[in-house]
Amino acid sequence: MKGIQPQAKELLDEYLHSGHGACPGCAMPVVLRTIFHALGEKTIAAITAGCFGTISGTYPVSPIKIPAYNTPFPSAGAAGSGIRAALDVKGDTETTVVAVAGDGGTFDIGIQAISAAAERNDDYIFICYDNEAYMNTGIQRSSATPWGAWTTTTPPSELKAQPKKDIVQIMAAHHIPYVATASIAYPDDFVRKIRKAKETRGFKFIYTLSPCPVGWRFPSEITIRLARLAVQTKVFPLYEVEDGEHYTLSVEPEEIPVKEYLKPQGRFNFLREGDMERIQENVDREWERLMRRF
Amino acid sequence: MKKLLTGNSAISLGVMLCRAEVISAYPITPQTTIVEELSEIVADGRLKARFIRVESEHSALACVAAASAAGARVFTATSSHGLAYMHEMLHWTSGTRLPVVMVNANRSIGSPWNIWCDHSDSLSQRDTGWVQLYCQSAQEALDTVIQAFKIAEEVLLPVMVLEDGFFLSHTSEVVDVPEQKAVDSFLPPFQPRFKLSPEEPHTFNIMADPSMFINFKHEAQQAMNQAKKVIARVDREFKAHFGRGYGYTGNVRMTDADVVLLTMGTAASTALEVIDAFRKQGKKVGLCRLRMFRPFPSEEVGRLLGKAKKVAVLDRDNSLGAGGIVAQELKAALYGAVKKPRIFEFIAGLGGRDITPEVIGEVFNYTMSHSSPNGAPVWMGVKK
Amino acid sequence: MKKKPAKKKTALKKPSVRSKKPVQPEPSLPPMSLSFDGTLATKTGTWRYLTPAYLNKLAPCNEGCPAGEDVEAAMVLSGQEDYIGAWEKITQENPLPRVCGRVCFHPCEGSCNRKEYDEPTAINALERFVGDIAFQAGKRFSLPAEKKNEKVAVVGSGPAGLSCAYHLASLGYGVTLFEALPRLGGMLRYGIPAYRLPKDVLDQEIDQILALGVESRTNCRVGKDVKWEELKKYDVAFVAAGAWRSLPLRVPGENSLGVMSGVTFLKKVNSGEKVDLGQRVAIIGGGNTAMDAARSALRLGAEPLIIYRRTKEEMPAWEEEISEAEEEKIDFIFLTSPVNILSENGKVKGIECIKNLLGPPGKDGRREPRPIENSNFALPVDSVISAIGEAPDLSFLPPELQKSKDAIPVDEAGATSLEKVFAGGDIVAQPRTVSYAIGSGKKAAMAIDAVLRGKNAAEAIRLARWGDKGSLSMARYRSGGGDGIAQEVVKFSELNTAYFPRQSRKAKERLSLEERTKGFSEITRGFPKASALFEAKRCFNCGVCNLCDNCFFFCPDMAISARPDKQGYEINYDYCKGCCICVEECPRGAISIEVKK
Repeated sequence: MKGIQPQAKELLDEYLHSGHGACPGCAMPVVLRTIFHALGEKTIAAITAGCFGTISGTYPVSPIKIPAYNTPFPSAGAAGSGIRAALDVKGDTETTVVAVAGDGGTFDIGIQAISAAAERNDDYIFICYDNEAYMNTGIQRSSATPWGAWTTTTPPSELKAQPKKDIVQIMAAHHIPYVATASIAYPDDFVRKIRKAKETRGFKFIYTLSPCPVGWRFPSEITIRLARLAVQTKVFPLYEVEDGEHYTLSVEPEEIPVKEYLKPQGRFNFLREGDMERIQENVDREWERLMRRF
Repeated sequence: MKKLLTGNSAISLGVMLCRAEVISAYPITPQTTIVEELSEIVADGRLKARFIRVESEHSALACVAAASAAGARVFTATSSHGLAYMHEMLHWTSGTRLPVVMVNANRSIGSPWNIWCDHSDSLSQRDTGWVQLYCQSAQEALDTVIQAFKIAEEVLLPVMVLEDGFFLSHTSEVVDVPEQKAVDSFLPPFQPRFKLSPEEPHTFNIMADPSMFINFKHEAQQAMNQAKKVIARVDREFKAHFGRGYGYTGNVRMTDADVVLLTMGTAASTALEVIDAFRKQGKKVGLCRLRMFRPFPSEEVGRLLGKAKKVAVLDRDNSLGAGGIVAQELKAALYGAVKKPRIFEFIAGLGGRDITPEVIGEVFNYTMSHSSPNGAPVWMGVKK
Repeated sequence: MKKKPAKKKTALKKPSVRSKKPVQPEPSLPPMSLSFDGTLATKTGTWRYLTPAYLNKLAPCNEGCPAGEDVEAAMVLSGQEDYIGAWEKITQENPLPRVCGRVCFHPCEGSCNRKEYDEPTAINALERFVGDIAFQAGKRFSLPAEKKNEKVAVVGSGPAGLSCAYHLASLGYGVTLFEALPRLGGMLRYGIPAYRLPKDVLDQEIDQILALGVESRTNCRVGKDVKWEELKKYDVAFVAAGAWRSLPLRVPGENSLGVMSGVTFLKKVNSGEKVDLGQRVAIIGGGNTAMDAARSALRLGAEPLIIYRRTKEEMPAWEEEISEAEEEKIDFIFLTSPVNILSENGKVKGIECIKNLLGPPGKDGRREPRPIENSNFALPVDSVISAIGEAPDLSFLPPELQKSKDAIPVDEAGATSLEKVFAGGDIVAQPRTVSYAIGSGKKAAMAIDAVLRGKNAAEAIRLARWGDKGSLSMARYRSGGGDGIAQEVVKFSELNTAYFPRQSRKAKERLSLEERTKGFSEITRGFPKASALFEAKRCFNCGVCNLCDNCFFFCPDMAISARPDKQGYEINYDYCKGCCICVEECPRGAISIEVKK
């Protein structure tokens, strides 16, 4: 096909079927398509409870075309290690193992198992798609929920009062060979990082933002736009960390104030006077802090 | 080859002989030396396997379950709190119909903290859909591990092999360790019909809605029913192959016993000398050691105990608000039997309190001297 | 960080994922809950309440082009380096790209959506590039597939006449051009100086049209050299005689020697005649004719002075013309009107002027200049060129043909009050530009073809419309309105500019100031290839899919896939949930929302 085709968008086969139950405009299937495009069909996925787990199928059908294994909520990290071990002992060095979890299954209930897998440097890719709350059960707050956001357990009179947990730093502190943040709004970069992870031996952690129209309260068509704005406003910087030490920036952010990113999201409608400025200060401060690591 | 081995060592060698491929390890007293010895066996190269040092028991089982789904023969071991921690994974593993073999060294569950033997940990997991086989000797433990893989891989249900913590795990006896070749010819490689493979992709553990869930559970029940026959058959084959068999129950002097002691684990071997002593006195006593607890051998136990007048069930556990679990299961099993003995319930040995010959003697005496049980179970050795 | 050694890249073979049939379990239920098939039975399209669709919307440049070019398509093809394809698209509508690429006032650039982002695409320069490169490659117009019997007389061989002749000849008709002046071209030759439009380029463009079998009779003025009645031998006539009558200054002394109209002056210069202007020449007027006259005078060695009655902001000449005249250091005086041409022995020696101030707006909305009493002053000049406007000469037309004061009134099909007589170009009331003239010639060709083929001309022309500004497409005319392009014009707000880095446009290269005024060599150079491609790629391609894959890639439901003909994408409405991410992420507004009824 003619046209402007950067590497990410080669028209490869799909690894997901249409007809799945994700909400209209959900970013997660776009994340999955990107990952599976990049990895190809010799991939086995471990899935845990969350939005992906929920759409992974109802007997006897599933939208996933590669082999996949649902495991209970806390155990994505353990399941990935188990599948990898089974393949290794059978001498299979070609199949890629990937564990996919949301913010709940990575930051909270799943953090123990993922930390262990990282510490052991087990050879597989762990991908966290972060929609910043327990979305599957109806938008409850998680440790990934940003400061000031409404959720069903942080009502307007008691919005999320803690900053987002810095999972990238936590994972980088394990000194695993490769940690990277990625975004569906930058598909070339995402695919490059997945392929780089595939070629790297040891534990790899890829962290992506997954804007959620239902939970963040925005019209479904701006999912990608928000993913882009998150990067451009420095809320979700794109970078890589190798061996826990070497930081590389992937995309230069723009000088766009964070309020451009927050405004379209209804979950930030309850911010009080001065909150927006506080958020901007915080974003700027976190950015400075990140830059010092480069 | 005969060796002097603790229960844990015997089990480790059993796992090695079975050529387990993925082993996960998390320590908890008193199972820990199983995983320690296995780590050396794997590191030495005596077993070609992946040994994963996980960070918790939930992960220990999650890890090997996933590995089993990917087609590997897997093993792990735990105890007490560890078993409780992996509770949801026990259900999951059974529901996924994965032939995981796990040894549980029976130990009480706190609070209060207590590291010694009782059966409350595994018995409180009896509803999770695992086959449960209770051993009384290191030899039996090693042999049962070998049988367990064969049973599990045929019926596609996970098998829990139980050993009494400390009493069995840490005491030594002479064990006849089979040759590798003999085990290989008894236990073929694991070749599941369905597994995680790019050659034939499936998504495992997708939702089954109300129209389908009950069908899967019914299938699992059928499998558990089938397991009963398979356990018996595998035991017979094992006996033919290795010269040792165990059955569902270990029966001593049962043919003409009026008063039967029914218990599980090492307490049964302690009972042997007590039974001899009573028999010398002319008392018609017998011992029925329950080896297979899940599936519960209702028919066989009904047949065995039908002739007896009284059964003293010695529970090394208690279900608060209901009584000893083995006793309850037995009563339920015998409810439909034509000939029912009177059942006397005893709770003893919780938290590692030694079940001595004296305690067993008291149990028999009480049973023989009372015409019927007075309702509540009798607690042995509670200090006033 | 350890890396595996690089594996040899295998060719992208058909993966076996697609060929895997669902595996049926042996017993009726598998032991565990496994998937055996995909989710395609769930038609999530039923969830939808907004429906996205590929509506090939109209690009604003297409609507903005009075000549009705498919500017958009030409940009897309140029962006793919298919310049010949672009030329074919342009010449389907306009036979004079090398002319327009040099002299057009490019309203397309004024409509360009990129203007709102950084700078408009350099469409004008690209049109020239495409025209020039196609000519150099030997591309010429193809002869029509079939010839028709009817013959058409075209009066006037300016852009309107040439355009009409070209389109009629391409439709298979016999055409004869009647041209009063010695050579063909009208204002293109006799009005526009060579430094803007080289004569050889013009000749080449005209020759191409003639090569289609168009006959021409030069030095043949209708009403003088040939009677109007002769035209009745033809099946239809198209009158495009232009506006050549200069408006008089109406000041004393305007008949002195040394006073001439701008049109007359330019005619002479563009015929190669010598004109003696003396040293100083005053040019009265603020339009393109005045600029052309002043700049030609400069090149003939005189010192021009432009006198205009309003301010620079009100000058009707094109900005580029004004700024280039300024660069050439031509003097301007504003808010000044001539009141008397001073002469000696009947020859111009000076000009008396009066200063103006701007009063309230007049009938045409422009502020009226009001002379300031006693502000008269005189300037010594050797000649005066009056270029305050032109009107058509309608005297050659038959009395039965309805006329208005300064134009031939026509209907929306370009038809006059006389049956089988159409009119267009500067002789009708429309903006006096080359592209409008070309557009009206095309409209006449459509109307003539419709009438001769027994169709309703007004209806056929209505179907050929592109947008609402009067632009007509021959391609659309020929297809009866069915070219798959919507009438809605894409607005800037419908684009997603995140996909376009900000880029300034390439400037046209021009001769140095010194070189420019030495003679009549063409001032502007054409784009080098790299600049042309760069500019073509700056085009947003508004409203038309150019296969960027965004919609395909971002659809969470895999509901968008390549069309079998690989010329676009299609939406599988069985699964489209109507999230409209595709609409938002289409950089060029080629996908729009239809509201489900």
